[in-house]
Amino acid sequence: MNTSPFVYQRANSVDDAISLLQQHGDGAKLIAGGHSLLPIMKLRLAEPDMLIDIGRLPELQGTRREHGEIVIGALATHHQVATDQEIRSSIPLLADTASRVGDRQVRNRGTIGGALAHADAAADYPAAILALEATIVARGPGGARQIPAREFFLDFLTTALASDEILTEIRVPVPADGHGWSYQKLANQASGYAIVGVGAIAILDGSGTFDDVRVGVTGTAAVAWRAAATEAALRGQKPESGVVAAAADKVDDGVEALDDLHGSAEYRLRVTRGLTRRAILQAVARAQQRG
Amino acid sequence: MEISGQHRFSAPRERVWELLLDPKILQQCLPGAEDLVEVGPEEYEARMKIGVAAIRGTYQGKVKIVDKDEPTSYRMVVEGKGPAGQISGDAKIDLADDGEGTLVNWTGNANVRGTLARVGGRVMQPAAKMIVGQFFTCLEGKAG
Amino acid sequence: MHVPITLSVNGVERRAEVEPRTLLVQYLRNDLALTGAHIGCETSQCGACTVLLDGEAVKSCTILAVQADGAAVTTIEGLAPVGTLHPVQQAFWDQHGLQCGYCTPGMVLSTVALLADDPNPSEESIRHGLEGNICRCTGYHNIVLSVQSAAKSLASGAIPEPVLSRDASLTR
Repeated sequence: MNTSPFVYQRANSVDDAISLLQQHGDGAKLIAGGHSLLPIMKLRLAEPDMLIDIGRLPELQGTRREHGEIVIGALATHHQVATDQEIRSSIPLLADTASRVGDRQVRNRGTIGGALAHADAAADYPAAILALEATIVARGPGGARQIPAREFFLDFLTTALASDEILTEIRVPVPADGHGWSYQKLANQASGYAIVGVGAIAILDGSGTFDDVRVGVTGTAAVAWRAAATEAALRGQKPESGVVAAAADKVDDGVEALDDLHGSAEYRLRVTRGLTRRAILQAVARAQQRG
Repeated sequence: MEISGQHRFSAPRERVWELLLDPKILQQCLPGAEDLVEVGPEEYEARMKIGVAAIRGTYQGKVKIVDKDEPTSYRMVVEGKGPAGQISGDAKIDLADDGEGTLVNWTGNANVRGTLARVGGRVMQPAAKMIVGQFFTCLEGKAG
Repeated sequence: MHVPITLSVNGVERRAEVEPRTLLVQYLRNDLALTGAHIGCETSQCGACTVLLDGEAVKSCTILAVQADGAAVTTIEGLAPVGTLHPVQQAFWDQHGLQCGYCTPGMVLSTVALLADDPNPSEESIRHGLEGNICRCTGYHNIVLSVQSAAKSLASGAIPEPVLSRDASLTR
């Protein structure tokens, strides 16, 4: 299976890539690991005239800690995110999510920046990125700007990135010490894509009551979301299973589920509620263990 | 593949009906429509560059309007062919008064062949919904 | 418009001018006649096209040859000197870790990468590590045994051993 023909250009810098995007407009696409883009190009679902390779730019690589945040370069592969010591110890939800993207070979090539920019409805990261209240940094002709995760995912395959902007890094605030976390996923057996994925962070206070709880959901609908109604129902409550189950039932408040050959809307909603309950309970159990 | 949805217009039913069936408006509002040509009574051919974000292709399509019941309902019989496969299907559009405005309910049934059928299932439904949404939002603007 | 690339394949430097859309697996198979990397599903799922790119297991059907410019590629043909078997290949032989053989080059290369990272993996880590390789004969049981056996022989310092001649191998 071949892609349509295209012109290949390796960018020398982020600025170079931005000016190439400006020159070539809609027909040009950025490529890094290529694990979202090449499959759809081979299927002729996408036929860009030009690929701008940013896969080796040093500016987009590396992970660092900065004022209570972990800053992850867009080119970090899923494998790097999953195995980085700093990420594993400070934001285990993100490391665990990354370890469950696709399979080993895909994780060796696919990048966190590429996956977020492509914004597949069934991608794993959005659940964690939302629950962690991460910020996406994008650079365009006018300079850099920061986009909160909540404002980043707009619709199916659609993000807040402008066509001449490049996602350069992801800034993830390190959650409080002793926080609990969980990523629950129902994966498609062949592709590993999330039919439903739920990421949760739980922070308990001294008396074991929810101080903060944050839930992100991916896969279920055309775009990932933060489960505000579930979170509101839990704040200030004791993490008892009945309370959690009732809150989890509100996870799809105002959400229209996808309905396709991988699962009917009704099935997806049931799975989403169930996985939300499990994610919160596991996050609570971990918080109790660590706290 | 079956998809459906609804859109509320603030314009009255007759006006919405008129817009929905005006080839000039269709050309302007169908996302990516190029050279919409009337090839027969109530029958059009168009080249459409459709898609969402990275997923995009040029489709050659044919649309025939049938079973017109002005200003309440009609059906569209659609055929399309593009790089990733072929689509044929039909859509039923129902218009109903909704206070001062109009409620449009639509149901589409598409038969998909080729790559689209094999692997496109995961992307087609949300993509189609987004495209229909863009179409109605544009019509809404024209209803003014 | 062709693009010049230089890469090391199984230790040999290769230079070529490729059309940008050439996939790494096509370059390996068509230009270099290294047909050990198989084309299976073509949709980055089955792992039959797995090769090592700078030591990491990757799906060569989802990488452009131009993206591999400057990299070192190892295919099944380059895993052990001609006439010898790599300990992982030997383990697949010993444990009957293959039936039709279609997935085997990919399985073997994924195993090499897996064991480089984790020399003594649990069964769970083996199954998780090989998730990206699908065996159409569903012979996973013996594949897991092969990986465990390979881990043992690598730990005891096994080196590639000579392969028997074709006739002898049939009666082995």
